[in-house]
Amino acid sequence: MLVDLLYTCFAVFSVLGALGLIIFRHPMNGAMSFLITLISIAGLYALLSAKLLFALQLIVYAGAIMSMIVFIIMFLNIQPEELPAEKTKVIYLVGGAVAVLPVAFFLIKVIKRLPNMPISFASEGFGGVKEVGLIFFTEWLVPFEIVSILLLVALVGAVVLAGKREKNK
Amino acid sequence: MTNDFILFFPVVLVSLGAIGLMLAGTCRCFRLEHAAWASGGLFGLAFLVQLSATLACDHSLYNSLFKDILVVSPFSKAAGLVILGCGLFSVCSSISYFKRNNFSGVEYYSLLLFAAAGMLLLTMTRELVTAFIALEIMSLAIYVLVGYDRDNVLSTEAVMKYLVLGAFGGAFFAMGGAFIFGAVGSTKFHLIGNFVATNGFSASPALLAGGFFIMVTLFFKAAAFPFHAWVLDVYDGASMPITGFMATALKTAIFAVFANFLLADAALQQGWVNVLFYIAILSMFMGNFIAIGQNSLKRMLAASGIVHSGYLLIGLVALGSQQQIPGSVIAYYLAAYAAGTLGIFSALSFLSGKGEQWKNFNDFKGLAKTNPYTAFAISIFLLSMAGIPPTAGFMGKLYIIIAAIKAGHVSLAVLGIVSSIIAMWYYLRLIVLMYFHEAERSFVEEYPCRVGMVSTFVLVLCVFAISLYPIAL
Repeated sequence: MLVDLLYTCFAVFSVLGALGLIIFRHPMNGAMSFLITLISIAGLYALLSAKLLFALQLIVYAGAIMSMIVFIIMFLNIQPEELPAEKTKVIYLVGGAVAVLPVAFFLIKVIKRLPNMPISFASEGFGGVKEVGLIFFTEWLVPFEIVSILLLVALVGAVVLAGKREKNK
Repeated sequence: MTNDFILFFPVVLVSLGAIGLMLAGTCRCFRLEHAAWASGGLFGLAFLVQLSATLACDHSLYNSLFKDILVVSPFSKAAGLVILGCGLFSVCSSISYFKRNNFSGVEYYSLLLFAAAGMLLLTMTRELVTAFIALEIMSLAIYVLVGYDRDNVLSTEAVMKYLVLGAFGGAFFAMGGAFIFGAVGSTKFHLIGNFVATNGFSASPALLAGGFFIMVTLFFKAAAFPFHAWVLDVYDGASMPITGFMATALKTAIFAVFANFLLADAALQQGWVNVLFYIAILSMFMGNFIAIGQNSLKRMLAASGIVHSGYLLIGLVALGSQQQIPGSVIAYYLAAYAAGTLGIFSALSFLSGKGEQWKNFNDFKGLAKTNPYTAFAISIFLLSMAGIPPTAGFMGKLYIIIAAIKAGHVSLAVLGIVSSIIAMWYYLRLIVLMYFHEAERSFVEEYPCRVGMVSTFVLVLCVFAISLYPIAL
């Protein structure tokens, strides 16, 4: 089955990309590795026939946000000798993995116990711009609207934490 | 329709006020004092609107438009009142705090309002996606407020820890929501409740796992037992008014959504009752154990917050047995706890001095000799938190323990009493230091602003008013 093969590929690559993000020493390598994760997730969306989400994932995340991250790394111009030594990194990685291991086992157990459901194909037009838009503005109006507050808080927070601050009078 | 508007108005008022303050902050003539008074006024106004709205039973807001996503109940209304009250008193203590510490800005008050908007949405929401977004609105605003003092290393460390762990917790919530959606086909609480009622609690492994992950996040945010370690460092790093706000308003919002989630169906609550039972016990005793060893007053209060989370979890265990309004015991305890905690943080906001240099137990030796009124107020707050009879804290604990006995958890009630006796040790320690020791430093200082002091004494009145409220009914 091509679908199964594609799914396995995307899933494995998305996890490997995320792993690379925390293992690579240089931020640029990390960013590129993260890009693999973002593209693989877009592939997973495509397999679920979420067309709009697939396009947005590629354009916004893999496109816009990624170019911004790369731009910032370029802007900072980090040389390999400027990177911190990170001697304890391996210990923390192993320790973190051990700590998360029970959760992973738990998840595997849950997934294995899930009943086998017949696979049905999504209806015509599922995941298109019009369908998603309709759902947003009818069924999910509240979350859609309050996301704007969330974005505003994030914006104000970023300015407060990182912006230039004039001294109070 | 009018009633809908009044019930929803506090959220609108607080969020529009936050946006307005943010915009006004760009104007040069809009000073910090204006922002403080404006935000205090908004909190007060929203509090009055919330108080004026009448409500007998659960009411779905704008049902045709919002599709059952926001539901106002008497419990959510009470929780909203506590949150708005906490906001008002936090603003008052911030005013006096920032007379001596110079790192505030107009955005500080704007973020405080944003956080309150997120919390209010969290108390009303009956849907997981909205709950997640409201949780993130609240958390993001609080992260920034914790790290507002950028020159303070402790504060930067606190925001880093809180941000990373909080993002981790948020991811768990999102994953739990996805699992529940997979099992039920909806994220609305009443549909989840219907699913559990028809298929049984353990019918779907995905539902179990989803519930588990959501509870992990809520335990983390409420600083309950296995996820309590962050709370000491974060409270220590945040400025005094923000610590008070976090300890009270944030906890109220989290327990409101927790109770609403468990109330979706009795079988759901019964399914998790064992987990809640052990976490309540462990939170109480672990919190006491940590609190006894602290020398810093702020860290002691953080640890005592873990203990209070334990008591609130007892309330959640006994949720099904409450006859009248579901969650009323929890709301009452939250109000009682909020009055005491906010009071002590409000007093510390003007006592701790520049850069919070005095925050250890020993710094307050002999306070009663020089500042008898403030020492009296602090004693009242501590006695309320310890649960000594005429105060609100006693009534709160009493109701929680009665609810636990009614629900058939006598052992939990006994352990609650034991834990509150242990807690006397660290609450009374400060009172002993204030009253029975000679002063080592002079407390004679000019208070630059009376607002903090006035709000502290108003809170003393609140402690007694809340304790008398059930008798007045």
